[in-house]
Amino acid sequence: MSTPAWILETFAAVMVLVAEVSAGQVVIARAWTRRGGAGAGIAVSQLLIGIAMTGILVSGLSILPNAVWEVVFAIMTALFAWCLWRENRGRAAASVAHGHYAPHLAHSAAMLYLFAAMAGPSAAGPGGMSGMAWGSAGGMPTLHAPVLALIFALLLIAFTVHDLDRQAGVDGYFHAVGRPLVPAGSALAAAAAEPVALRHTAQADAAETARPAEPVAYTAERLLLSPAVVKGCQVTISVTLAFIMIIMI
Amino acid sequence: MIGLALGRDRVRRWAPIGATTSPGTDARRVLQLILAATWLLDGLLQYQSSMYSTMFGEMIGDSATGNPGVIASPISWNAALVEHHLVLLNTVFATIQLLLGLGIAYRPTVRVALAASIAWSLGVWWFGEGLGGVLSGGASPVNGAPGAVILYALLAVLLWPADRPGVTAPFVAARAVGAPVARLLWLLLWGSLAYFALTPANRAPQALHDMIVSMTGGEPGWVTALENHAAAVLDHQGLTASIVLAATLIVIAAGVFLPPPLARSALILALVMAAFIWVFGQAFGQILTGGATDPNSAPLLALLALAYWPPATAASHAEGSASQPDEKSA
Repeated sequence: MSTPAWILETFAAVMVLVAEVSAGQVVIARAWTRRGGAGAGIAVSQLLIGIAMTGILVSGLSILPNAVWEVVFAIMTALFAWCLWRENRGRAAASVAHGHYAPHLAHSAAMLYLFAAMAGPSAAGPGGMSGMAWGSAGGMPTLHAPVLALIFALLLIAFTVHDLDRQAGVDGYFHAVGRPLVPAGSALAAAAAEPVALRHTAQADAAETARPAEPVAYTAERLLLSPAVVKGCQVTISVTLAFIMIIMI
Repeated sequence: MIGLALGRDRVRRWAPIGATTSPGTDARRVLQLILAATWLLDGLLQYQSSMYSTMFGEMIGDSATGNPGVIASPISWNAALVEHHLVLLNTVFATIQLLLGLGIAYRPTVRVALAASIAWSLGVWWFGEGLGGVLSGGASPVNGAPGAVILYALLAVLLWPADRPGVTAPFVAARAVGAPVARLLWLLLWGSLAYFALTPANRAPQALHDMIVSMTGGEPGWVTALENHAAAVLDHQGLTASIVLAATLIVIAAGVFLPPPLARSALILALVMAAFIWVFGQAFGQILTGGATDPNSAPLLALLALAYWPPATAASHAEGSASQPDEKSA
């Protein structure tokens, strides 16, 4: 017997939610105008990972062939590796693991491995599409080089506990996004510019006071860009990706 | 990184925006996070397809063998229950372990999660692992005695986020329970492992050889080769190997009572022993076979050894003892 389909579908539903939240962040950040900077780039990567993982977990929701995803995640891996290198130039090697881009590099590299390790003829499903359902007839599909899968799973678990241990907001991305979208000096601007956990009490009080007058769009923006949501997406992706790695060993 | 944290027992209070670590990330918090990661791994392993087969119920049922009736009966009842409601119960088990890991990693819930992990571990130790074979005569330090899951409970107690007022603990494990109790627990654990190494079942000429060979099923070729090589070395050497193993374990058990330099040597020996057991005796917890419920006992023994590591200076440790304001207020 395989891992029950409803468990895979539950994880897929969570990834759809992550993809939706990431899509909202992309829209708010106006990624196509490059105003969102790093935060928008990360949201785009999380959107793609969410879509790809949904297709892995439920084959019916797969929208692209494995080969295309391999190219996408190869580009993303290279991009985040470059960003991480640029961010940590001149710093100690140990600081690389704490870099803002480190978990996203791990996610992208893990996705690249996932699609590459499933890409063999025996694992490819109808039309070369990814997805676990095509393995259900004879059990779960397995990955080539399972030691790599285990290493990636351990790495993702390490990032999960590391991210959970940190206060929400210390990553700092999306702070730049909030500023141009909200009136300068408003409580919302302060909320978007600073992590919730570290916000000064007076500012928090001001934000609470101002809430009834805030347009609905601003409230949604603040929710989607809140440190807790950003961290939640990151942790959810790490856990789900580790889950996939482990059950496909 | 762990070594650095243990050496300095570093403390950071409220970090500025953009900082990369959390407040109060001292040695104990690092060890708590490793424990959290292990629980997370356990939870994810429990979702594997093999756990949704009859193998899981049979594995639980097998742990009743050799135990006294009062211990065995509840295990058999649990095994039957799991076999009848396999999908539901295994999913619940996996999710609980996943939540324990997430709970320990998230500071506001660390106490609740650690307390829950103690209760869960004790339940699984009895109903799922048959007390680790301690009473059945099948326990061996090589095959995971005294049961991996009881080590989670022990770690949760030793890493509990509290400090004894007015006392400077000589190592992390002593911060919550005090040095005498922590040392006694260490002696009890490693002393019992030395005893198990010398039981008739484990000192038989082929006992260790057969135990290691049994680990090769379903493993990748390179792991099988490692195991076969180790088994060949131990062929008909059961008694000698058991005596050497027991002597080493006794040295480790006594090590924490020695002055810090010698204690560190004993702890290094414990780490090396744990590594050897994990690689050659436990085949990396058999994780690569897709049928493991946990990484087995050796990584937890190593984590315990790190919890007993004396810090470089007493001053830096005293600083560490004053940390974790968020945990205290939780």
